[in-house]
Amino acid sequence: MLQPKRTKYRKNQKGVIKGIAYRGSTISFGSCGLKTMDEGFITSRQIESARVAVTRYMKREGKVWIRIFPDKPITSKPAEVRMGKGKGAPSHWVAVVKPGRIMFEVDGVPLEVAKEALRLAAQKLPVRTKFVMRPDYTE
Amino acid sequence: MKKASLSGSPRENVGSKDAAALRKSGNIPAVLYGGSEQIHCSVGTVPVEKLIYNADVFQIDLEVGGKTYPCIIKEIQFHPVTDKIVHLDLLQLFDDKEVTVNIPVRPVGTAEGVRNGGRLATNYRRLPLRGLPNAIPEYVNVDITELNIGDVIRVREIPMDGFTILKSDSDVVVAVKRTRAAMSAASEEEEGAEGEGEEAAAEGAE
Repeated sequence: MLQPKRTKYRKNQKGVIKGIAYRGSTISFGSCGLKTMDEGFITSRQIESARVAVTRYMKREGKVWIRIFPDKPITSKPAEVRMGKGKGAPSHWVAVVKPGRIMFEVDGVPLEVAKEALRLAAQKLPVRTKFVMRPDYTE
Repeated sequence: MKKASLSGSPRENVGSKDAAALRKSGNIPAVLYGGSEQIHCSVGTVPVEKLIYNADVFQIDLEVGGKTYPCIIKEIQFHPVTDKIVHLDLLQLFDDKEVTVNIPVRPVGTAEGVRNGGRLATNYRRLPLRGLPNAIPEYVNVDITELNIGDVIRVREIPMDGFTILKSDSDVVVAVKRTRAAMSAASEEEEGAEGEGEEAAAEGAE
């Protein structure tokens, strides 16, 4: 699963997601992609699960790009522990996404295959998504 | 380049409020530059969409305020979430002034290597071409009929007639690569041949 190799600080504050994505909102590598319509945290497990769904459906043909990276650590307290006594231990990593962010891109497969692969990937994600294509897309 | 025509109306007020009102009424704010002065205008969404959601590059005759300006689409701004067209930049063309345009690459024919199980990989969807507007072609045609598996076509091998390609001469434009399935099949065959060879040697020693 994706996670940073090294970090400056072990724990992050929760933060607030405001606005829409201006960067990473256009298809840059492939011919079509999956865009998020909501803001949210995408965990590294969800990214991996979506990636596996795409590559399986595409039968290892074509190419897949993952345009998000889980660089935010999320902490959690152990079960049955009273509040207080400090912040919990890092438990997993998430990618913060804003509406408009392209999360996955694919290329090298027919349009119908790409659509279905990205639909399967969207089912693994906790946000509403939209299938997008390059404006100058040709088969 | 293919030719198209577009009619626009000059914008009286320039500003975000006016632009938002234009978008609401089914128009797109646009700016035409490259000439002696900038012209702010608005164009209809439907005819612009026909030009943009298209693989071709058009030389547009833009009619604004009774005058016609030859131009190309220099930049398109899309809304990050809705993907609607928000703004258009148009660059005015002059017959004696060179222009840089991204022109689509079009492989011509069927590669020999693809027939033999290879995969055609196009590294560039579009190539930046610089030249006079009349010399810029509709497509950059790349003849791939004689490409075998492992062969490539570089920028320097593309015939340039009146224009230059703004990429390094050694950049690969089109290549025929081995498919993953073909590679795995070949490696299995090699392993099988090695195994048989070893067995035969062992039998000979006995």
